[in-house]
Amino acid sequence: MANISVFLCKCFGEIDNTINFDFLREELSKDPSVVLISIVDSLCLETDIEKTVSQIRESNSDKVLIAACSTLSRGNLVIESLIKEGVERHKIGLVDIREGCAWIHGDNPEDASKKAKDLINMGIAALQHKDMSDDMSVTVHPNALIIGAGPAGLAAAMSLARTGFKVNLLERSKVPGGMLKLISRCYPDNDDASNKLGPYLREVENNPLITFYPQSKITSVEGDTGNFTVHFSFQEKDSFIQAGVIIVATGAKIFFPTGLYGYGEIKNVINQMEFERQSLNGSLETKKPVFIQCVGARNRERPYCSTICCPISLKNASRIAEDIPGASVFILHRGIMTPGNTLEKYYRDTLSSGVQFIRFEEEQPPRIIGSDYVEAVEVYDAITGITRKIETDLVVLSTPLVPNNDNVQLAEMLDIEVDRYGFFSEIYPMHPLETKTDGIFICGSARWPVSSDHSILQGKAAAMKAVSYLRQSKIAASTLSRVPGLKSGHARVVPESCTGCGNCVAACPFDACHIEKLEGRYISIVNMMKCKACGSCVSVCPNGTMQIPEHNYRMVGEMIKMAF
Amino acid sequence: MNQPRILIFACKWCGFIGADAAGKKRISLPSRFRVIPMECASLVETDAILRALAGGIDGIAVLGCHIGGCRYNNANHTAIKRLELLQDLLDTTGIGSSRLLLSFGTAHEDYQFEEIIKNFFDELTLLPPLDPWL
Amino acid sequence: MTGFEHIQKTGRDAVLVVGGGVAGITASLDLADAGQSVHLVESSSYLGGQVSKLDKLYPTDHCAFCPLWTDVKKCMEHPLITVHTLSHVKELNKENGNYSAVILRGPHYIDEKKCIFCGRCEKECPAAAIHPDWEHLYPPSFVIDETLCTKCGNCTKICPSGAIDMDLKEEEISLPVSDVIWATGFKEANINHLKEYGSGTHPDIMTSMEFEEWTSEAGTNRGTIIKRSDGAIPANIAFIQCAGARDLRMIPSCSAVCCMHAFKQAEWVKRRDKRIDCSIFYTDLRTVGRDYYRYSLRDFEDANIKLVRGRPGLIHPLPSGNGIAVQFENTITQKREIRKFDIVILNGNIQPSLIQLRPAQPGSMAVPRTDKEGFVIEESGETSDFACGFGLEPADVADSVIQASAAAMRIMNKASDQR
Repeated sequence: MANISVFLCKCFGEIDNTINFDFLREELSKDPSVVLISIVDSLCLETDIEKTVSQIRESNSDKVLIAACSTLSRGNLVIESLIKEGVERHKIGLVDIREGCAWIHGDNPEDASKKAKDLINMGIAALQHKDMSDDMSVTVHPNALIIGAGPAGLAAAMSLARTGFKVNLLERSKVPGGMLKLISRCYPDNDDASNKLGPYLREVENNPLITFYPQSKITSVEGDTGNFTVHFSFQEKDSFIQAGVIIVATGAKIFFPTGLYGYGEIKNVINQMEFERQSLNGSLETKKPVFIQCVGARNRERPYCSTICCPISLKNASRIAEDIPGASVFILHRGIMTPGNTLEKYYRDTLSSGVQFIRFEEEQPPRIIGSDYVEAVEVYDAITGITRKIETDLVVLSTPLVPNNDNVQLAEMLDIEVDRYGFFSEIYPMHPLETKTDGIFICGSARWPVSSDHSILQGKAAAMKAVSYLRQSKIAASTLSRVPGLKSGHARVVPESCTGCGNCVAACPFDACHIEKLEGRYISIVNMMKCKACGSCVSVCPNGTMQIPEHNYRMVGEMIKMAF
Repeated sequence: MNQPRILIFACKWCGFIGADAAGKKRISLPSRFRVIPMECASLVETDAILRALAGGIDGIAVLGCHIGGCRYNNANHTAIKRLELLQDLLDTTGIGSSRLLLSFGTAHEDYQFEEIIKNFFDELTLLPPLDPWL
Repeated sequence: MTGFEHIQKTGRDAVLVVGGGVAGITASLDLADAGQSVHLVESSSYLGGQVSKLDKLYPTDHCAFCPLWTDVKKCMEHPLITVHTLSHVKELNKENGNYSAVILRGPHYIDEKKCIFCGRCEKECPAAAIHPDWEHLYPPSFVIDETLCTKCGNCTKICPSGAIDMDLKEEEISLPVSDVIWATGFKEANINHLKEYGSGTHPDIMTSMEFEEWTSEAGTNRGTIIKRSDGAIPANIAFIQCAGARDLRMIPSCSAVCCMHAFKQAEWVKRRDKRIDCSIFYTDLRTVGRDYYRYSLRDFEDANIKLVRGRPGLIHPLPSGNGIAVQFENTITQKREIRKFDIVILNGNIQPSLIQLRPAQPGSMAVPRTDKEGFVIEESGETSDFACGFGLEPADVADSVIQASAAAMRIMNKASDQR
């Protein structure tokens, strides 16, 4: 049993108005492990902290229990200042007798005093049995791996390289640029895609900190935050890279609407990508194009809006309306998705450029007239209630971006999540680029369909998040929490008694547990870099082998015993 | 008759913040409850609950975040499933599931905590005392 | 020398972040984590901005409060971040490629470092000018409402920890800054002059932020839905989208967040009380983010929320005082209708807060260059003005946070280029 010194805070009368401190002193002195009972006016004031520290040093106590206000009030500040004075964190216990006792039982001082006694006893029990988690630290490889050299990946690479970090840029195809290579102009500034890409491509070529690996494909990922080892095939040779952080910027792919509106069968029914190609190589010839929105999107199969198709149609439609005299351009839509100021203005500009909009409903989609050449499109205008026949020479289908086929596979390798559609997903809306595994970030259309401008923005943002990891030479597992000091430890397995049942593996929401064969037996191993100490594994462990030392079974048991 | 005794396991992101806020507002509450803050409701062991009941505590409350609101990638979803099974077990053994209160709504507000505690006290007063057998 | 080494070795001047909402907090934390010192200026008494007023976040229904709380706590404790609450930037001077800022720091009559939150001052105050700061602030503290305070001095006498000093004056802090990030966020616009919406004519015609406060779990009614006029449970609620927005008279742009905000509010109304009928009057439903469209579908189908395409032509309280008439043309059925609602929520009247600041106090406050609608025009040069969040373009929480990190990255890159 450790010797404990107990500090009771009066909080300027806030606590001792209700709670009888003499009674507490009397009760506490019965406990042989309590070597010092000190009553303080207000622990959170600097002068009292100094006194407390000198008292702790003079007494022969091993641990300190503070009975004061709650951690969410000023309790945490007291702990922090004690730590600053050199007391170790795991040797400090805090019991809340203000918010949790004196203030809510102010009408019943007798019961409140008894409760305070019980709470302090629970605190002592907790302090006696509290253990400390092991910690580990990883030496950080001060370079980043970026998967995908589209606009998002390129922006991240350039940002990190300019900040001074080595970047390895992996790309599936032969050249960097991603989808921007395939299109002519970008919305909403109508800038040429090549102009937009130019600085990034030059940076990849000229910055010695960026190593570009074309035609490569990831085969496996090992290691943890700060120290990933990624094996990949590079121009059909096996290779590997060590990296501190990984940024996933693999983009998305285009949906080909085979069978819809005669796509694939009729020559003048094309999708937006073919439209872009034709305008890039100058083979585009149309005077009466009809754009149809939400082809294969916002339906049962793909219940999502792909964000970029409406602005793309606006861009292409207004271009024809402005460039070709006498053109008649129609956009058949199910609600134009142009949120924000820039896009809304883009929409208004398109309207004033003479492009005509017709809204249709999902149940009554437009009909193609013509078997091997579309001559007209028939559509029920949901707003006027009139069925209209529009003559046309080109039907352009706006299709959504869909996730890459190997997203699930890659997500499994990286231990990150994909959403129900197959895009990589964050787990917390307020941290949209961070994933389940610390040190792996997602950006661009691999995360969710976005415009080129926003891809670049997200690439930069992901790079910023990466910097905070890369600049550390070592990362300790205990600091891998969004709030320092709030992570309560890591789960710990006792190898001798682990039966290898695998319950913890199934229960862990962060994939921190796995089963390994050790000395002929299967046992569970906890990866501290991934463990967030939620305790899901603890409660499903059949024999109490899995524990969080800071919150272990004995401790909770003893606390329950002392509760009344 | 004595007031019932209640032990509360509170998720430190929801229930515990609610309890704390009730304290800050000085809401008057019956005194015979004790709060043990937990990292997450999923850390609450079945054993601990059974032990507490065996030790003579009349009611256990587990307060966690609402569905979809967990800090730990939906760890509370598994906790709910597990603790509901425990409620079934308590019914079969005759202890009664009403002694285990599961609240997975947002209990992060003072009045929500107050309501939960007061109602639970009222419910437990109507039950016969639980004989400790340990 | 890498970017952050440069920052640390040369002691680069601090970055000034204006606005302590999610965008400002994220930008400050990102920069500070990279070794850059930051001064964060916030006009209200607490960090958290508009998000602290939100109950739940779409589309995952996470609470807004606990992730925000942890970020605020981290911000307050970070050694490289200096937080100035109750402050604003008075002057910004550009000279020879250097910025110098004057921060006007309002008096913190109650020192939050000393306040023990006992509440004696609140009880003693004869003018009822003292109230707890934002409920979940860390560490908790009281604030004095200067407009009500009579400076009687009672609180100074009663305070046990000596935290109150009424003699404090405004303080001007001059410091050199390297760059500025404007994260000034949005404010609700007054649309009383758009007569057709009936804003301000009846207590049950509310703006969406008012309704959020009125019904949120931490708000006035603790998560119950009642009418503001008589406290009765409403039979039905109308959400009017684009009220004031996409309107050349008022806010020409689409506010981007209101569609999903309405869906979220309708969903939570239904969760709390199934009997209440919800109708959303929309022009276009802009549901572009992850799971946004699905969230709207779920609302539409499972929660049985009625979607009406049409912008109401007239909203007016009924002469009996009981209920509000909404006249509209349903543009799908082409029918003109008039319907009675118990609560009408006006959604969309939010605009960058800079547009409201500027005319009010000319000269007393430094503001960036903005466009006609009040959105910041970023300027990059030796001394840069970056922006993020709603002050840059209409953005929800996720977008604001992304923009904030991107702005921080651009500053890092600039620092590296200067070496």
